[in-house]
Amino acid sequence: MQARRLQRIGFNVVTVAIYAFLLAPLVIVVLSALNAGTYLRFPPQGLSVRWFVDFAHSRSFMGSLGFSLRLAAIVTVVATILGTMASLWLTRVSGRFRSALQVLIIAPLAVPGVLTGIALLLFFYTLGWQQTGLADLIIGHTLICVPYVVLIVGAVLARQDKTLVEAARNLGAGPLRTFWRVTLPLSKGGIICGAVFAFVTSYDDFNISLLLSGVGATPLPIQLFDYLRFSFDPTPAVAGTISIAITALVVLLVQRLIGLDALYFGQK
Amino acid sequence: MRPAPALVRMSRLPTVGHHLLIVPLLAVLSVFFVVPYANMVAISLMEASHRAAYVPVFTISNYTSLIESRFTWGVIWHTLWLGVLTTAICLVVSYPIAWQMARANSRTRAALMTLVIAPLLVGVLIRTYGWMILLQDSGIINQLLRAMGFAPLHLMYNDTGVVIGLTHVFIPFMVLPIASTIQSIDPELELAARNLGAGPWRSFRRVVLPLSLPGVMAGTVLVFVLAVSSYVIPQLLGGFTVLTVPVLVIHTISELFNWPGGSAFAVLFFVITALVIWFYLRTIGRVTHAG
Repeated sequence: MQARRLQRIGFNVVTVAIYAFLLAPLVIVVLSALNAGTYLRFPPQGLSVRWFVDFAHSRSFMGSLGFSLRLAAIVTVVATILGTMASLWLTRVSGRFRSALQVLIIAPLAVPGVLTGIALLLFFYTLGWQQTGLADLIIGHTLICVPYVVLIVGAVLARQDKTLVEAARNLGAGPLRTFWRVTLPLSKGGIICGAVFAFVTSYDDFNISLLLSGVGATPLPIQLFDYLRFSFDPTPAVAGTISIAITALVVLLVQRLIGLDALYFGQK
Repeated sequence: MRPAPALVRMSRLPTVGHHLLIVPLLAVLSVFFVVPYANMVAISLMEASHRAAYVPVFTISNYTSLIESRFTWGVIWHTLWLGVLTTAICLVVSYPIAWQMARANSRTRAALMTLVIAPLLVGVLIRTYGWMILLQDSGIINQLLRAMGFAPLHLMYNDTGVVIGLTHVFIPFMVLPIASTIQSIDPELELAARNLGAGPWRSFRRVVLPLSLPGVMAGTVLVFVLAVSSYVIPQLLGGFTVLTVPVLVIHTISELFNWPGGSAFAVLFFVITALVIWFYLRTIGRVTHAG
């Protein structure tokens, strides 16, 4: 019995260490943003918001932040509409064409984002678009945001009681009215979650944006990357802290609405 | 009296109107995903030029010059090696937490799941930056080592840093598929093995591990693909000392402006990666059938 308990304790120590490894860089980024000194040291040199002030005064960082938020907002709307329509379609069809389309929808997540960025850059050039910018980024981001919407909304739709839609139709509602009055209210949680995932995916994307960003159209991650190649102070940590705060909010929201584990394990 | 309308059944065939739902997305994916990739393959078969992005003349020289170059093969090998190393470490680190997650009650599982997914939602750049603060020569880990009287370690701008960063970023992609297959294994099976006299290790090795193999395969393939195609991590944690295929491809395209050459390299590496995965899946299939 003693040996079993020791084994169990040993196992738990190992898993706690792994979770610590997973969270360490995030904790470090937040500490670094709140630290008074230029370099994070132990013991820390006290709390300060000076890096936040620096960030707020930096025209390039604030410009990129605004651009990233605007881009993510547009992409969220586009991806949520396209993705929700596709999920509704997927629930009602079957056969080989359905599986082929499912693969095609997920494909942009399975191929390297950097490669998709290259392919789009070359394609836009072939079309004769001379400069990359907002439109290119919207297209590129939509490709990688739609799969999340389809996966999440699809999971929610699959759990729905189909007889409710049948009942509405039998009571005389047309397909559109049934959608507005029955399907939409029932899948609202899933659609919001899908939209939230799309927003975060776009806001944090680096790979697609790398080659598609242009003059005056630089998303925050690209701006940070350029900055980090040549300098090293805690200003990027501020952007990281904002990103981590957004993520924390998202996790709480999704957990409230449908439960994160429902996304991966099917039902709750 | 009006005749009652026929009752609607969901099993009936979808209408033409229903198919309109997929048209917009299908159009976007065809025009902005399938066509650009085809276009890239086409450009990889065109002549490079100093004056234009490419000259529309067919050639396979972009491929032959890559294949003949020892430098290219060195970079390819190194990239694949980093991918294999990352995948192996990810598997070892992820399996215990996947098992724990799958066997927890639904409350604990939701909490553990949040801990695994949350880092995934924070962009890769931010997480890499966190590792830069930790791993630098004057970083947190070396400060702690020095404070404890150990010699500092060189953890960044080399393979060590790149593999640490890659492992960290891709752990969730290993944990989730493995956890979902373990969860679908009936816990009674483990119990039965234990009751028949197998120790915990033996029952794990003979029951849980073989049954969770589909999840392991999915996770390893996913992590390998993501690891070999990563750009930010080798660039920031490897500096100029770690050269991988994506770094070299981006350099060729956006700094040397050799689009046909860069495209050819990307296509070549894509094919090599696919072959590696095909070979891996086939080998595992053989081994499990033989066992």
